Amino acid sequence: MNLELRKIEIKDVVFGEETGLKEGVLTVCKQDIIDELMEDVNVKSIKVDIAKPGEKTRIIPVKDVIQPRIKVEGKGNGFPGVTSEMVQLGSGKVNVLDGVAVVTIGDIVGFQEGVIDMWGEGAKWTPFSKTLNIVVDIEPVDGLDPHTHEATVRVAGLKAAELIGKAGKEAEASIVDKYEMDDIFTETGKYPDLPKVAYVEMLISQGLLHDGYIYGVNSQKILPTLIHPNEELDGAVISGNCVAACDKITTYQHQNNSAILDLYKRHGKDINFVGVILTPELTTLEGKFRTCDYTAKLCRTLGVDGVVVSEEGYGNPDSDLLMICKRLEDSGIKTVLITDECSGWDGMSQPLADTTPEAVAVVSTGNVSHVVELEPADKVIGSAEAIATLAGGWEGCLQEDGSMVCELNAVIGATSEIGYHNLTVELY
Amino acid sequence: MEQDFVIVTNNPQVGKDLGKVELVDGSFEDVLIKVRDLVHQGHQLISHPIGASMRMLFSPYRSVLVGAERTQIKEVYSLTIESGIDTFRRSTANRNVDYVNADDYARIDLELLKEAIKEHGIIQREKIQEVQ
Repeated sequence: MNLELRKIEIKDVVFGEETGLKEGVLTVCKQDIIDELMEDVNVKSIKVDIAKPGEKTRIIPVKDVIQPRIKVEGKGNGFPGVTSEMVQLGSGKVNVLDGVAVVTIGDIVGFQEGVIDMWGEGAKWTPFSKTLNIVVDIEPVDGLDPHTHEATVRVAGLKAAELIGKAGKEAEASIVDKYEMDDIFTETGKYPDLPKVAYVEMLISQGLLHDGYIYGVNSQKILPTLIHPNEELDGAVISGNCVAACDKITTYQHQNNSAILDLYKRHGKDINFVGVILTPELTTLEGKFRTCDYTAKLCRTLGVDGVVVSEEGYGNPDSDLLMICKRLEDSGIKTVLITDECSGWDGMSQPLADTTPEAVAVVSTGNVSHVVELEPADKVIGSAEAIATLAGGWEGCLQEDGSMVCELNAVIGATSEIGYHNLTVELY
Repeated sequence: MEQDFVIVTNNPQVGKDLGKVELVDGSFEDVLIKVRDLVHQGHQLISHPIGASMRMLFSPYRSVLVGAERTQIKEVYSLTIESGIDTFRRSTANRNVDYVNADDYARIDLELLKEAIKEHGIIQREKIQEVQ
């Protein structure tokens, strides 16, 4: 497969009469977005706003973040299997509105967190404080069941990103990133002496607000599956999860999966990157045993020497992460885990909900319990109730000057377990 | 087919229409302790005792599936529930239970429970077919 991601640098976003792009300034017609999204009979109202880096603006509760794009050569505009007809993704040329994100908000349940602060201390912790955010607030019609509500909000965000992405159709790219990878046998023929490495990406797959989608298929319904890395970079994987704010993998992060991009950079140099295995994190123990066995079997079938595994979420997925690790290491496959940790306010507690002695190479993407202070915002896009939930975490976390103390787990993308975030690690 | 599971729960929205219910008059932690007792008596631990995100640990409610009959004490079940209790205590030591959103937590717990029952059902049917 041969994919070009052509990055168009966007310097500013403004509202205007017509959606378009001129000299790096993206003009968005608010009414076009509203009209498009209101076509869904389940949508009662749509509000659209803009939040820019440095503004004292808080966005909460964030459902998903999506990168607007348009395919200018090849098939597969939008999100095939969800917003457009099914085609094979992973090839062609895509114009990317670089520096812009569509951020969807809206309460599905009252305890959603997912905060993005565009300024100050909060901005340090989320990668989406540095993007020009087009915020789409989706209110559903009354009486909608929660599954339909979730689906309505999820699909509305994708449609908005697709619509805005069209503005980049004729634009010139400032950076063109090429991703080319043939079948495993051809690549191994090219690099016979390099160690073969697969990437296992785990997805929360446990039901309402805890789902991921591959070409529109709920990952709860699949056995672990092999996917070409280009397919994910081209929009095949979509987030349906909105309770694990700090470590949910947003659709934007799937489109720009850092683990894939880093493995690609080393492909043909010191490794032979053979592909991505998407693995569901199920809720029953028997289900976990099955998917972990199956994941290890796929890795053995590919004949890999090493595997990088990334987790999504915290808690019961820790068991899957370590079971996969044990099975791979027992098979003689060297395994590196990427996960965040819940190691208390002081960072001294046991970091994961489970352990195994085979987990000898683990990259931490941050402590979800780390406490940060968020000062009051001048402008809030979203829900005051969500802020009240955030401010009610423990006695005294709402301070006299109106600032709040919260744990990183409330901040979108703060401890991204695929490494798409602002933190770094130090090797001791 | 007779249901082979019991729902251990403190969630008032969980009805008997879903299966046999062991209602715990207590907290999330009390549910986990009840599950631990059953596992130590030889009941299978069918669904994982804790959720997939920090936020679900602040829930007032939790539902867990265990086997209906005593079969055998298995190390993996004992370790999973013991580490689940440990994780719960560590993760919530500084946190308030989020009672303000109790109804929403009850609803999501119920939805996730239904998914766990479905997932368990699929696996059980596969096992029966294997035997046949």
